[in-house]
Amino acid sequence: MKFAENNRISQRQLYRQIVIAFIAPFLLCLFGKRQTLGLSGLTGTVLALIAVLFYVIFLVRLRHAFGNPCKTAGQIGGRLVGVFFLIYCIWGATFLLDLLGEIVAVSLGTGVAKGWLCLLALLVCSMGTHRGIQRRGRIGEVSGGVVLAAVLLMLFLSIGQGKWEYLQEMVWNSSFSEKKILESGYGVICAFSGLGMLPFSLDQTVRKKENSTGKTVSLAVFTLGVLLILTELLLSSVLGWGRLKYENYPILPLLAGADLPGNVLARFDILWMGFLLYSLLFSIGSLLHYGHLIVEKSGLGTGRLWIPLLVYGGIVAEMGAWSIRDYFPLYLEYIFVPGMLIIQIVFFIIGKKRWKKKLAAAACASAIFFLTGCGGVEPEKRLYPLALGVDLNGGNLQVTYGVPDLPKSTGQEKNGEDQGNAAPSIVGESFEEIENLYGRTQEKYLDMGHLEILVLGQALLDGGRWEQALAYLKQESVIGENVYVFCCDNASEAVAWTSPQETSLGEYLLGLLENNPNGSPGQAVTLREVYHEFYDRGALPSLPEIKIQGAELEVIF
Amino acid sequence: MNKNDNIVIISKDIRANERCIRERLADCGDIQIRRMRLGDERKVDCLMVYIEVATSNMMLEDSAIGKMVGHFWEISPEEIKQFVEYNSLGIADVKKLTDMEQVFAGVLSGDAVFFMDGFDQAMKISSEGYPSMGVTEVEMEKVLRGSKEGFSDSVKTNSALIRKRLRDTRLKVVEFHMGERSHTLVQMVYMEDLVREEFLEQVKERLGAFRIDGILDSGMLEQLTEDSWFSPFPQYQTTERPDRAAQEILNGKVVLLCDNSPVALVLPGIFNSFMESSEDWYNRFEMASFLRCLRYVALAAATLLPGLYLAVIRFHTQILPTNMILSFAQAREGVPFSSIAELVLLELSFELIREAGVRIPGALGNAMGIVGGLIVGSAAVEANLVSPIVVMVVAITALGSLAIPNEEFASAFRLLKYFFLFLGGYLGIFGIVTGIYLTVSHLAGLLSFGVPYLMPFIKQSSGNGTGSGIVRVPFRKRWRRPLYAKEDERVRLKKTESGNCKNGGESE
Repeated sequence: MKFAENNRISQRQLYRQIVIAFIAPFLLCLFGKRQTLGLSGLTGTVLALIAVLFYVIFLVRLRHAFGNPCKTAGQIGGRLVGVFFLIYCIWGATFLLDLLGEIVAVSLGTGVAKGWLCLLALLVCSMGTHRGIQRRGRIGEVSGGVVLAAVLLMLFLSIGQGKWEYLQEMVWNSSFSEKKILESGYGVICAFSGLGMLPFSLDQTVRKKENSTGKTVSLAVFTLGVLLILTELLLSSVLGWGRLKYENYPILPLLAGADLPGNVLARFDILWMGFLLYSLLFSIGSLLHYGHLIVEKSGLGTGRLWIPLLVYGGIVAEMGAWSIRDYFPLYLEYIFVPGMLIIQIVFFIIGKKRWKKKLAAAACASAIFFLTGCGGVEPEKRLYPLALGVDLNGGNLQVTYGVPDLPKSTGQEKNGEDQGNAAPSIVGESFEEIENLYGRTQEKYLDMGHLEILVLGQALLDGGRWEQALAYLKQESVIGENVYVFCCDNASEAVAWTSPQETSLGEYLLGLLENNPNGSPGQAVTLREVYHEFYDRGALPSLPEIKIQGAELEVIF
Repeated sequence: MNKNDNIVIISKDIRANERCIRERLADCGDIQIRRMRLGDERKVDCLMVYIEVATSNMMLEDSAIGKMVGHFWEISPEEIKQFVEYNSLGIADVKKLTDMEQVFAGVLSGDAVFFMDGFDQAMKISSEGYPSMGVTEVEMEKVLRGSKEGFSDSVKTNSALIRKRLRDTRLKVVEFHMGERSHTLVQMVYMEDLVREEFLEQVKERLGAFRIDGILDSGMLEQLTEDSWFSPFPQYQTTERPDRAAQEILNGKVVLLCDNSPVALVLPGIFNSFMESSEDWYNRFEMASFLRCLRYVALAAATLLPGLYLAVIRFHTQILPTNMILSFAQAREGVPFSSIAELVLLELSFELIREAGVRIPGALGNAMGIVGGLIVGSAAVEANLVSPIVVMVVAITALGSLAIPNEEFASAFRLLKYFFLFLGGYLGIFGIVTGIYLTVSHLAGLLSFGVPYLMPFIKQSSGNGTGSGIVRVPFRKRWRRPLYAKEDERVRLKKTESGNCKNGGESE
């Protein structure tokens, strides 16, 4: 039939494929450690975008030359070119798969080993990659718009967390030099290098008018560019310039402190990660698809099986001593991008004729689940501290977890059941030791995902070990950045405090802040602000103080 | 009697014909072979062959056969011959047969066959045919507004029901006999000028591409001819409603009717058509659009809710407001099973109730569903076997699945639900995302007779005026047929000279 068997994709499918394939890698990889951020980063990005838009004009003219590389450059030359691009596909897929494995293993805490996660993701991405560009076009078309809309919505929701002062800080503190501009610009160009695969498939794109493909690709590049610039501004205004220096993937905590109106969801950064993961899966699938396409077009047989195997081999090697995350950017900068440009120029010169166009993977997910075990813990087997007190006790760290009375807080008391508020307190030399002690002594899994209040003891603040506490909290990815921070003479006593109505400290302080018509949350200090001050000035902001006198509690802002 | 290439030609000698018939129909107790002598002097030997129940009683004065036999008693043998030759009684459906294969086919299709001595042809006289339930009310696709008529088991009745709605000579009904032993009559119904020729050819090719002993229902036909037989997603739309079938024919689709099946197959089947109800086109567009959107939400809930619930409570508790997760935790206090086992057990219990409800006859089935659901759910909560939240999750999932208009389509998502349940339960949000990617990837690869399954959501169908998206457009804005209809016949609504249709109907 005409609709499906003409082996071509529409311009809209092409546009959405490009957008969905690039969104997640860009957002995740371009901003780590202040790369492409600041004034130089912004300027570099704009310049790189202009360069890429010009490159697109050149790129669409290569469709005939790359439609059959063996005809353009001869049997050997064509195959060598094929191998050159194939290496990029394999390395690129390995790099993204490794990234995905790390994000899932670290930020989403599934409890499944990274190797197994990568294997599962690879199997899923390999499905149908050899079944033609149309299938990918349809996946892109169906989900591209949704992913783009979701990412834009998420970015929009995070605008509310931004601060004008942080943006000003970025303007004053970031350096503006030619070298920095060139570096970040070239970084963006390298990130767009995936576009270099397009000539292999452009002969399978519907051509309504001349240059319509070029317009589509340009529009996609423009969309991504706008998204990049918006994100650069948002990151600086939400996280602050000082903090960005220490963040590997600053895009992940961007939404950790955002609230949704209506209190339907407490945190939605997990959903945000879900969209990024979807985009990553699509990118990996696209690289596998292009790998297969290149193998076919270069007359190297079929890559259905061995391309995914090589990618997985890369992941296994990565888990050893070799780190693709270190080498792949270098490979892009020094080998692939210059090499690709040379090949494309050569092909452009010699390719004057018009030519025509041209793993499956088994599902064994269940084996993965049952072989690896999992980290899922039932909700009733978790301890949900709403308040956390950190203090010094005889030179050691003392952590107190303020846990509310579950039956009372939920209104589900059965037959006079009264558990009472609990405040287990653990003392140790370091947070690692405290965590280990907790694991050895407490029955329930510690779920810090609902922490609302952090109380820092005066002794800790005076003793200078608060930095250690912040470092510990930073590496706990489940802790939101909208946690309110207080100080107190005795943090342990404060966290164990119960109101005359037997409300725990966490619930009481939340009520105090959120039910106050004078807008007390505005006066409170959040963890995000604490991080900002810490990374920016190496100090703490002025914290509200809790005063306890018997059964009475007062907060001094 | 002559045998010509294994075809036995009807003889002038009625005894030879009778012998042949009795030989072939030996031990067929349900088939009556009646000898009779007709004519005013009772000298003309005749033979009537018919299936006892399928053919009306010959003695009944008001039946066509009864009238004919009664008349033959009063006229001379010569007149009988002339009578037979020219069908003077004007019986509506009489066909002359020349060989025994036609005779057997006629008898087995429920008609009576009449032989007369000295005449080398037989008369096939249509009668009431095999017993069937007749036109009944629709069971599976009930609507508040619209016809209540449903397809019956008789293919002829079904095509007549479509013809009743589309009284146009361009509506074609092509017949095929399928199944080497069942000889099931299959009808392909389409509007001649709306369907693409290559599409029709493809349908015919697929119907002729296999040999099978028997086709007993349209479901067998569906599975034998669809593109991806391993996929859980139905690639043909099914309907029990003649008005829906007629609507789809007007869209440029082809309808396959199979004898003994009240379910018509509509092809190509695309994702959005499974989410439509025929009522959508009878209600006002605002409400219809709202209901369609609601069905998509129901689809998402039916598929993803259990998996998402597990992913959230086992891995990403921080998503939920604190009070809610504390409630969940407290509700699960004392439940002996893991949340995955708890959910799977309750889902399976619901499937059991559902299956039992279908098997139990009539009103008892409905009662069984309600009582079973209530008792099993509340008893399980009371006994602390499951938490109340899980009962709610299962109930919402079930409601979501019941809100999908097409049962086969809903079943595919019911199966997927378990897949997502395990993915969410063991891998959290990563598992859910992986599952969604895999599902979208699978759906993107599916074709129904060359038409992409995801048609309404991809470029080709988004042409202005087709109204094939999620939102049900007003009739005046739905002036074109979908893309799979013939190119030059895509305009379905035009302005008349009196200008009644003001908004729509721009000429193409």
